[in-house]
Amino acid sequence: MDDTIICRCEDVYLSEILGAIEEGGNSFPGIKKRVRVGMGYCQGRVCQPMVSNILLATCQRNTRPVLQRAQPPIRPVLLGDIIKK
Amino acid sequence: MRQKVIVIGGGLIGTSTAYYLAKYGVEVTLVEAKDIASGTSGACDRAIMLQSKNPGPTLELAIKSANIYEKLEDELEVDLEYRKSGGMIIIETLEEMQAMEHMVERQQKAGIDVKLISGEEARKWQPGLSNDIIGSTWWEGDAEVNPLNVSFAFANAARKLGAEIRLNSPVKRLITDNNRVIGVEVSGERIYADAVVVAMGVWTPMMLKPLGVEVPIIPRQGQILVSEKLPSFLQVGILSASYISNKLKKNHEDDKKDPFGVGLAIGQTHSGTLLIGGSRQFIGYDKTETNPEITRKIGEAAIRAFPCLKKVRMIRSFTGLRPYTPDGKPILSPVSGIDSLYIAAGHEGDGVALSPISGKIMAQVVCGEKPEMDIRSFSLSRF
Ligand SMILES: Cc1cc2nc3c(=O)[nH]c(=O)nc-3n(C[C@H](O)[C@H](O)[C@H](O)COP(=O)(O)OP(=O)(O)OC[C@H]3O[C@@H](n4cnc5c(N)ncnc54)[C@H](O)[C@@H]3O)c2cc1C
Ligand code: FES
Repeated sequence: MDDTIICRCEDVYLSEILGAIEEGGNSFPGIKKRVRVGMGYCQGRVCQPMVSNILLATCQRNTRPVLQRAQPPIRPVLLGDIIKK
Repeated sequence: MRQKVIVIGGGLIGTSTAYYLAKYGVEVTLVEAKDIASGTSGACDRAIMLQSKNPGPTLELAIKSANIYEKLEDELEVDLEYRKSGGMIIIETLEEMQAMEHMVERQQKAGIDVKLISGEEARKWQPGLSNDIIGSTWWEGDAEVNPLNVSFAFANAARKLGAEIRLNSPVKRLITDNNRVIGVEVSGERIYADAVVVAMGVWTPMMLKPLGVEVPIIPRQGQILVSEKLPSFLQVGILSASYISNKLKKNHEDDKKDPFGVGLAIGQTHSGTLLIGGSRQFIGYDKTETNPEITRKIGEAAIRAFPCLKKVRMIRSFTGLRPYTPDGKPILSPVSGIDSLYIAAGHEGDGVALSPISGKIMAQVVCGEKPEMDIRSFSLSRF
């Protein structure tokens, strides 16, 4: 089947995102918890905009879907550096 | 006519309750304010650890739950990332050694075959452990599971058995008639049922308060760091002895000496990331931001145990609210004085481990069967 990769860090495809939406996922965190999209090294910086667009296109709501909050560290940081501060 | 039951809350406890009720042939409606696992069950760790449970009713409950977990993937026909990895509680000081000797003795009496091993043996089981670790417990029966998978799997299995799952449906209030709960009100709509199970975790007290019922659950925040993916490195689930003493601490007054209650809990997920926790703090419902000072303290604890972690990158941190009760035991109970109303909540840091048995017992109680364990220790009226 034709499928498009959406999350490169976690190897998640469009069909999986659509499946998660069908199961009731209606926010970025909700889809992430179902199929791991956005859990990777870049923490959704690459895939969240796409997932957000898919959500907008599939949900019959005019409100914007809930997005993921950035939780520190904003960029990956060595644990050794975290304890230095 | 089939019995009709509403379960409020789609976390580990509510989804499990809905599943077992559906399995017993009940007509179930699960009503969730946001989404499955959007509360504490979506912001927690993955341990099914019996060693960390206080010997007594909670341990007995946990043993029954662990037995269900062994066959749960087959029963639900999904991958829960369940693994019987074994668990260790690592010991850094002589004082901790004494406390753990005592704990191990009580665990052994309760039938859990935990062993105390030397630092050297511990390093053999788990390479990378610091030379400063003077000893450890070890039990092969401890396990782990992906709590998100568990919540979704229970919800989906319940749905397959005919349960209705209503997401984005915050329950506004319970509808009562002559000291009997007859349904719930959801966004203007009324849903009626023969019984209602409140499984709202830390939010449970809010649903009961208008009926004049006080539920002594308070949120106890925990914070966790997530690392980049690493090749398989942690074979077992690891806690520190200080984690145990923080967990079993009873007073919920803020501790001035150790306000963050940091103790190490570390494990590696199937995808390779490390989950490194954790803290225990009573700071209310609203602070969801992670605290850099706690991050640093957790980092220090982790590096003390595993010096090699200095060179590992952290990609994220998150917080969750444990539903704490004053005696550390969950509430699995009818509400006396109000018919047809039940509570399944207050699992603090044990809700992953206790999810299957809690749901099963609640289903038995609500269906009028004799529960497979005496639930008097978990009654609401004990407070
Ligand atoms: C940092 C951390 C680490 C942990 N690690 C472990 C571990 O390793 N092992 C372990 O066994 N346990 C662990 N726990 C504990 C475990 O996560 C909890 O005990 C468990 O998730 C509680 O589940 P619950 O279903 O009771 O609550 P929740 O998952 O919070 O579910 C309650 C649900 O009720 C919903 N709700 C709220 N208000 C309403 C309303 N008005 N109408 C409808 N629905 C509503 C919420 O949206 C929520 O989904 C940890 C907890 C934390 C915070
Ligand atoms: S592309 Fe999805 S987390 Fe990086």
